[in-house]
Amino acid sequence: MKRISSYLALAASYFQLNLKAQLEYRGAFLSQALAMFLNNIAWVAFWGLFFHRFPVLRGWTMHDFITLWAVVAAGFGLAHSVFGNALLLPSLIARGQLDAWLLYPRAALPHLLLGRMSATACGDAAFGYLVYLAVVKPDLQHFLLFTAFTVSAAMAFVGFSVLTGSLSFYLGNAEALSEQWRFAMITFSTYPATLFEGTVKLLLYTLIPAAFVGYLPVEALRSLSAADAALAVTGSAAILVLGACVFHLGLTRYESGNLMEMRG
Amino acid sequence: MRFWQKYPAVGLASARSNLAYLGEVTSRVIFLGIILYIFLRLWKVTFTQAAAQQLGGFTLEQMLWYLAVTESIMLSAPRVAQLVDEDVRTGALSVQLIRPMSYPLYRLWTTLGERLVRFLVNSAVAAAVVCLLVGPIKWSLPGLLIFVLSLPLAFALDFLGNFLVGLGAFWLEDTTGLLLIYSRVTMIMGGMLIPLELLPDAIRTAFQTLPFASMVYGPAKLFVHPDVPTLLDILARQSVAVLVFALVIAAVYRLAMRRVFANGG
Repeated sequence: MKRISSYLALAASYFQLNLKAQLEYRGAFLSQALAMFLNNIAWVAFWGLFFHRFPVLRGWTMHDFITLWAVVAAGFGLAHSVFGNALLLPSLIARGQLDAWLLYPRAALPHLLLGRMSATACGDAAFGYLVYLAVVKPDLQHFLLFTAFTVSAAMAFVGFSVLTGSLSFYLGNAEALSEQWRFAMITFSTYPATLFEGTVKLLLYTLIPAAFVGYLPVEALRSLSAADAALAVTGSAAILVLGACVFHLGLTRYESGNLMEMRG
Repeated sequence: MRFWQKYPAVGLASARSNLAYLGEVTSRVIFLGIILYIFLRLWKVTFTQAAAQQLGGFTLEQMLWYLAVTESIMLSAPRVAQLVDEDVRTGALSVQLIRPMSYPLYRLWTTLGERLVRFLVNSAVAAAVVCLLVGPIKWSLPGLLIFVLSLPLAFALDFLGNFLVGLGAFWLEDTTGLLLIYSRVTMIMGGMLIPLELLPDAIRTAFQTLPFASMVYGPAKLFVHPDVPTLLDILARQSVAVLVFALVIAAVYRLAMRRVFANGG
């Protein structure tokens, strides 16, 4: 318990430090965060136009799609505004830039992931919570459940980024592969799994585990289903554990780039 | 070298340079395949639920081909705004300015050369994926020619929009946000995800009058339903938009050049 609270304190300190670093370039930070917010609004606008013409899609309404976008965006935003280095992991490994993180007494993976904040992810997180509160107007029970799902989605996103990023330990530079795989995850997570059938549906629970971050949380929120909620959280935790295992196994193959680096 | 030799030569060099990285370009089209598959499922379910053979004048097959073209156009856009932004921020612009050619025209032709290669690769992949998913649609050589004729000004128009965003680097700390907004506006108002026929009347009319529809929706519609009057209408809209954008860029570029300070060394 003491160990967990120590890491939470470390995460809080890094979040503050990263935010201060971002605010040094206030204009750039705000414009990137705002642009991502507007980017998500554009997608919601598209679905608004779609549902204006076709009000129900396999039982899903506009309301459900907004919830889907809110939970995925907030989950992704939360993940990478706190653990921003998860997105850069493939290049850090390929260029042998992990040395600095391996010298600290803290566990390498969480410490490394906390080292950076993504400005656009802050826009995603703000979009998710604001849109859910403003458009869906949930009661307290739904909002608490929504918040819990954003945390579980964040776990899945971090785990998935670590898992795909760690391929660089095995394949050399896996930046492109990792990016494409992550794109697939994000893209599939913003559509309900009911659209898909057969093998592709199976993929959404395995190779591209998008169902755990979008579809299952929304189903759980729609029907307050404990089974869907448990599946979403368990699946997300499993992705995180798998990602950490692949990273630690890969770390034994790591070769330093012998780079001189300054860290403030 | 004369004007009509110099700039096409720049475009050709850019196209050749991109052909050298064809493998890299091709490897990045997995995303295109995923998107088209998702759209297939989305529209298949929509057509089934609506119990309709056609929606907004499109059959399911035509809808998928329409989306294949819009995605190929959008995903073939080179990084113009980022390059202009980099040139401004790193000072590389001062090197470009001493070359015996106009910087905007140099960027236009390198962009067109790069875009041609990217578009051909994307189209080939998208066509293969859509053929696999729903099969081919009827097409003819004149129809294909009508579609091809709508592309150059569409690409030029998109270049001008991106170039304008890139010039923002003279005044803004960062233009990536502006670029993201531009690309999303093009996506929604250009009809990348949904043909404009399926939108409410007032919104459709508004979107059709804006230049974004001439970049994406126009060519894609002509691919599926090629006809000369529509081509002429789109070409007219594209020409007006290119003229307006070019005038705006000329004014902004003139202002921007006053902010360039170069030191020898």
